[in-house]
Amino acid sequence: MTDVPFPNVPREDARQKVCGAPIFGADSPRPGLLHAALAVSTIPKGRILDIDTLAASATPGVRQVLTHQDLADLQLPGFLLGGYGFQNFQPLRSPDIAYRGQPIAVVVADTFEAATEAAALVRATYAAEAFCPTIDSPGVDIVDQADTPMGQFLTEPVAADADAAFAAAPIKVDIELKCPAQHQNPIELIATVAEWEGDTLIVHEGTQNAEGVRHGLARVLGIPAGQVEVISPFVGGGFGQKNSLQMQTALAAAASRRAGAPVKLVVPRTQLFQGASFRPASRHHVRLGADVSGTLLAAIHETDAQSSRIDFFPGEYAATSARLYGWSAFRGLHRLIRTDTQTPGFMRAPFEHPACFAMETAMDELAYAIGMDPVDLRLANDTILDPITKRPFSSRHAGTCLRRGAERFGWQARSAEPRSMRSADGSFVGWGVALGAYPGMMVSNVVRLTANSDGGVEIAMGAHEMGQGMRSVIAAVAGRKLRISPGAVTVVIGDTRAALQQPTAGSWGSASAALAIEAAADAMWKALAKLTPDGVVEGRSPSEILKAAARDSLDVETMVKPPGQPDDVFGLLRSGLVSRAGPVFDDCVSFSFIAHFVEVHVEPRLRRIRVPRVVSVADCGRVISPRTALSQVRGGVVWGIGAALREASETDPRYGGFLNADLAEYAIPVNADIGRIDVEFIDEPDGLLESGVKSLGEVSLCGVAPAIANAVFHATGRRLRELPIRIEHVM
Amino acid sequence: MTGTVTLSQAQPRRATASLSVTLMVNGAIHDLFIDVRTSLLDALREHIGLTGAKKGCDHGQCGACTVHIDGRRVVSCLTLAAQAQGYDVGTIEGLQGVDGALHPMQQAFIDHDALQCGYCTPGQIMSAIACVQEGHAKSLDEIREYMSGNLCRCGAYVGIVAAIEDVAARTQG
Ligand code: FES
Ligand code: FES
Repeated sequence: MTDVPFPNVPREDARQKVCGAPIFGADSPRPGLLHAALAVSTIPKGRILDIDTLAASATPGVRQVLTHQDLADLQLPGFLLGGYGFQNFQPLRSPDIAYRGQPIAVVVADTFEAATEAAALVRATYAAEAFCPTIDSPGVDIVDQADTPMGQFLTEPVAADADAAFAAAPIKVDIELKCPAQHQNPIELIATVAEWEGDTLIVHEGTQNAEGVRHGLARVLGIPAGQVEVISPFVGGGFGQKNSLQMQTALAAAASRRAGAPVKLVVPRTQLFQGASFRPASRHHVRLGADVSGTLLAAIHETDAQSSRIDFFPGEYAATSARLYGWSAFRGLHRLIRTDTQTPGFMRAPFEHPACFAMETAMDELAYAIGMDPVDLRLANDTILDPITKRPFSSRHAGTCLRRGAERFGWQARSAEPRSMRSADGSFVGWGVALGAYPGMMVSNVVRLTANSDGGVEIAMGAHEMGQGMRSVIAAVAGRKLRISPGAVTVVIGDTRAALQQPTAGSWGSASAALAIEAAADAMWKALAKLTPDGVVEGRSPSEILKAAARDSLDVETMVKPPGQPDDVFGLLRSGLVSRAGPVFDDCVSFSFIAHFVEVHVEPRLRRIRVPRVVSVADCGRVISPRTALSQVRGGVVWGIGAALREASETDPRYGGFLNADLAEYAIPVNADIGRIDVEFIDEPDGLLESGVKSLGEVSLCGVAPAIANAVFHATGRRLRELPIRIEHVM
Repeated sequence: MTGTVTLSQAQPRRATASLSVTLMVNGAIHDLFIDVRTSLLDALREHIGLTGAKKGCDHGQCGACTVHIDGRRVVSCLTLAAQAQGYDVGTIEGLQGVDGALHPMQQAFIDHDALQCGYCTPGQIMSAIACVQEGHAKSLDEIREYMSGNLCRCGAYVGIVAAIEDVAARTQG
């Protein structure tokens, strides 16, 4: 199955998408639809003393205004790791205010205009309390992750005595770095259409986790999960922000039940900066020790990362940085800083992007300290053994990524001295390199596979399409296994009515889908064999066998779990809980790798930093869908450019909340920010799964930011250890 | 009546004005009775049932809602529905021929995989068609500049530029 590369074919749902045909959460039309809008807290912490909804209620077209006085019977969803919510907090459940921008009322009206007008008329008086909005706030609570409930299942990566090895190392790098809070900002707003059919709640919402939303809603509303269906066939970008029960979903559902009509609640962009998760701010202390020949002797990565007062959002930074090179001694440490914000969450490469920024900046500094080429230093410390567990990597082509990237980029023409290269227009030119890594994980699944005598195949399973090309991957794997054209495969995903849904996150989508479909297809061939007189299926298609047996169709349902997982993961799956396996498996450790080579130009007068070209070479195992994989890597590079040069969510230290809460002031890369992005895949099958696939969506972003920062150093001689890097930092 | 009305004298508005608007969208006439404040985007999505144009910000910042008015690209979230009366409104749903044939720009977006999640895509395509028609697709840098009002968080920019370059080369011969 893995011997032959997969063909480069158009994305399965591309035609629908260029026609604007996909029905996203807020697109679902229905008669009698009411519109909801939220009023939000203007203080960062305290209690509502009084809430005045008279003016809102009197607004023409308004049907109802709900506050904590109406919705006190809502329950808590539980925090995603073990529960369902992006935070274990449900607005409007009590008068408590945990963060600025928290919803305090929901207005339901005949029109969007009336709801929006009325929501702005809600007034509250509060008893305010002292608060700590940022990781630098005086008196903010800092805890060792090992002392939190997270410490039970997240152990610090440690190998040998890194502190002693560092102390004895002849060459040392000892630096501190900072990454800002950021917001995912998928272009599709977070939105819910909720309606009740009798006792059954039907929710249309773009989510990466329909089963989690279903069970979370059941818990918050106090109804059986069997009475909730969640429909999410297309997600307009998720990037981790849509991986769990949002705060507005239960509000829309409760409002719909009271109104006796379907309710649409589209959360405005500005409210989303407080209304959903974000990438936590983090500080990194990295120490590297090496000998004069460039052999790494020790690495220490200590992290302070933002969490909330509500939950312990964990840090898993060193779990990835530990795997970058073959150091003989390593120590990681995570501390959590409890700010008065909504709980931070998973934003594309949540830990791995900051971890790679920290470690790969340090590696560049080490290369200059030794006087060694940055690519050579990395190659000299490549490894086939995981330095933490001493198990082999399931596959590792990091060295090949670096070598091929260097050649494609023309790296050997680089002069090492900072400020030594200029372009024709006088810009300072910098070339930088960095490695990225991301864990390989998988989840269990239940697949319903139907083969029809007309040649068509239908697959219903747990997965979500957020732009990564999930339907293409499923169709490609199923097509190959069942010896049919991918075009004959109908894929039903993101729908709790069709199959149990698994959260699609952590770059485990393709691997999990491939694992599940391979098992389902094997089961299908076994079932088909029973329909043949001789038990032989070779050389025959499913439809031939069905026709010969005078059958219209054949159904098989298969439960599949990743290697090494116990059977009770299916219980978790049925309860809408996450059950990820990896990256450490019984006899190997799975990571994907990527090497990025970046050219920056720093303009001589304005000092604008431009990125005219990037070369990225990825080791993600077998590439199942070359067309969509290419777009994933390009998109990851765009994210890395945003992370390095643009994006930061600015917290207001005086009043809490995020200040630059819209797309004009939270600058994401625009078309003119992006130049050439050349992508190459190693396309060597990984050994862990039959399909040979590893993770891709998130590794593509890892290492871009340090490659840019290293290129800025090469261009300007300025070593910048805090993101984002902007004009004022290179003046 | 003239004179100054102080805030304390001002009465809360008790009635929201609605009005009849006739919109021509993709060649079809739609008679609407809507809140005066209804944006063209919400008129299309909530009142006419054309949900191809998307809401990504409602503030003119993302371009997901881009439609054509008399062939020119506008962000429909910053256009009142009433302002569009008397003009020809074109949306993504109107691009295909009667036989279902795709517009060359739609086909080029498929060929270059100029999309991922597809949420910004209707706006990108409407903008891209106008970009070529305006004569702003003469170089890669010009395309990048004139397409910078359409954000794509998935980061499909390389494919978008390639698709436009492809169509522009064929159109301009
Ligand atoms: S929705 Fe109109 S520009 Fe964003
Ligand atoms: S394709 Fe997802 S935002 Fe552009």
